[in-house]
Amino acid sequence: MNTTSASIRLDAVSKSYDGRVMAVDDVTLDIQPGEFFSLLGPSGCGKTTTLRMIAGFESVDRGRVVVGGTDITDVPVHKRDMGMVFQSYALFPHRTVAENVAFGLRMRALPKAEITERVKAALALVELTGYEDRRPGQLSGGQQQRVALARATVIRPPVLLCDEPLGALDRKLRQQMQFELKQLQKQLGVTLVFVTHDQEEALAMSDRIAVMNAGRIEQIGTPAEIYERPKTRFVADFIGEINLFDGVGSSASAIRPEKVVIGAPGNGGLPGRIETANFLGGHTLYRVTADDGRQILVKETNIGDRPTRAIGEPVALSWDPADMVQLEG
Amino acid sequence: MSARRFDAGRAGYFALNGAIVTFLLAPIAIVAVFAVNPTPYISFPPVGVTLRWFEKFFSSEDFMNALWLSLQVAVAVLVLSMLIGAACALALARGNLPGARVLTAFFMSPLMLPAILTGLALFQIYLLAGIGRPVWGLIMGHTLVAVPYVLRTTLAVLHNFDRRIEEAAAILGASPVRIFFEVTLPLIRPGVVAGGIFAFIVSFDQFPISLFLVLPKGETLPVVLFNYMKFDLDGAIAAASMVSIVMAISVVLLLEKLIGLKAYVKL
Ligand SMILES: Nc1ncnc2c1ncn2[C@@H]1O[C@H](COP(=O)(O)OP(=O)(O)OP(=O)(O)O)[C@@H](O)[C@H]1O
Ligand SMILES: [Mg+2]
Repeated sequence: MNTTSASIRLDAVSKSYDGRVMAVDDVTLDIQPGEFFSLLGPSGCGKTTTLRMIAGFESVDRGRVVVGGTDITDVPVHKRDMGMVFQSYALFPHRTVAENVAFGLRMRALPKAEITERVKAALALVELTGYEDRRPGQLSGGQQQRVALARATVIRPPVLLCDEPLGALDRKLRQQMQFELKQLQKQLGVTLVFVTHDQEEALAMSDRIAVMNAGRIEQIGTPAEIYERPKTRFVADFIGEINLFDGVGSSASAIRPEKVVIGAPGNGGLPGRIETANFLGGHTLYRVTADDGRQILVKETNIGDRPTRAIGEPVALSWDPADMVQLEG
Repeated sequence: MSARRFDAGRAGYFALNGAIVTFLLAPIAIVAVFAVNPTPYISFPPVGVTLRWFEKFFSSEDFMNALWLSLQVAVAVLVLSMLIGAACALALARGNLPGARVLTAFFMSPLMLPAILTGLALFQIYLLAGIGRPVWGLIMGHTLVAVPYVLRTTLAVLHNFDRRIEEAAAILGASPVRIFFEVTLPLIRPGVVAGGIFAFIVSFDQFPISLFLVLPKGETLPVVLFNYMKFDLDGAIAAASMVSIVMAISVVLLLEKLIGLKAYVKL
């Protein structure tokens, strides 16, 4: 199965629901064909609004939406030819699984035989063969999720939009579905815009991530860039754990806990004492109080049978200056 | 100990339910008894079983004309109130109308007014307007008090309606018209039909409004029964009541079979 995937361009798009607070504020995005692109940010930052403007459910106040080189800003939803997976799945409760999946194909007035065949293939792809005649109410959350995915992808859309599609699943199932969704996306070659507030999910799945805050884009980059080279204090703080050191003015520098090395005192480095130790299996997270009063998190991988360090143990902290990132804002 | 407490609770539960069911069904049972009791006046205890009251009812031209008229009116009211009630509910729930709450209260108001006042008011308006008392005027009067039932049940469904389902249809390529017929209508249908059943029964049993709006010789069944009772109180009344009950149940079963009452959206 293959689709023609499309690029998506948001050009200085803004949206306000009430005329005062900007839900989305001057957002510009360039998403490549076939890319797995995530919108990541805290609750209320405008992720859903951005996605809904791409889908056409919300009008834009300013800016343009361009998909596959065509300006679709004024094209109504039903003519946009996109797939979408909703957080609540939004399956048709009065239709069977097969009818749900067939819906988009019926709207495209495809021949009956082709519809039957493609529905069958789509259900096989999400491992739901044999569930054709069930109603959504008779399926588990994970199964409903798969039906929603099949329904959105069976039309072979150039663009697939997902709004926290895994949010309602338990952790285990979620991880499994993350893997399957990623695999399906690569298999179909579809451009996928994925909304999540879960940074681990975004880091694990995306080709690129846009981190949003209060309607604006803070940073766009690959998971590694976002994690290793955060540009702003917000991004550094939002993604993973980090030690922030205030600089002059609004500038700051930061270093990830796993980049800090604990050494014996007296050999240079920043002297301090172990304040707390959290044994987390593969690694131990220490909170060290430096002699100058700063609190620093250190993540130490547990190799061999190195014992957990004692509370109050004097240590010296050091790091490679190249691992220290400079932040603005 | 706990087993005995459990049993006591169960017994109480069944006793209460039994009492409620008895309370609700006893009048019907009594009417059924009267309908087959051969004495020429309504009396208790029954002395036998006969079908003569049913014969009398079905062979009386007055009764049959009235039953036929009542049925026609009730079916018209059923259809009209489903159309109007569903359209109103959609407009009120979806239309972004200013003052939707006030409008809802306004549309529900015929329920709060004593029907006899509604009947009197309609009678006077029809008189002033020179309309007279045609059957369609009667149908309009019934529809007026029947629409709130459909409005109420449909609004309840719309209130719990997940609009994302319609959005899903839109992004799959369904135009607004197709969304309405493929998604919205099937999902609100159980609410509309449930209200329609109330509407049918409200019309079929309607007395106060009909009293003002029927012509002599063009009376509905409840009015005919009332007039009959003024002079005779025999089993024909009970037989007519049984026929009414069977009619009402048939309509419920028929609608259930034809359109379906299974709710996908909880009421
Ligand atoms: N229909 C609406 N009417 C008015 N304001 C809205 C509406 N939808 C969203 N907003 C506001 O717009 C802002 C952005 O909302 P949005 O739903 O896009 O956030 P989000 O990033 O998806 O958040 P979450 O992670 O909680 O889903 C919020 O301040 C929200 O209150
Ligand atoms: Mg959201």
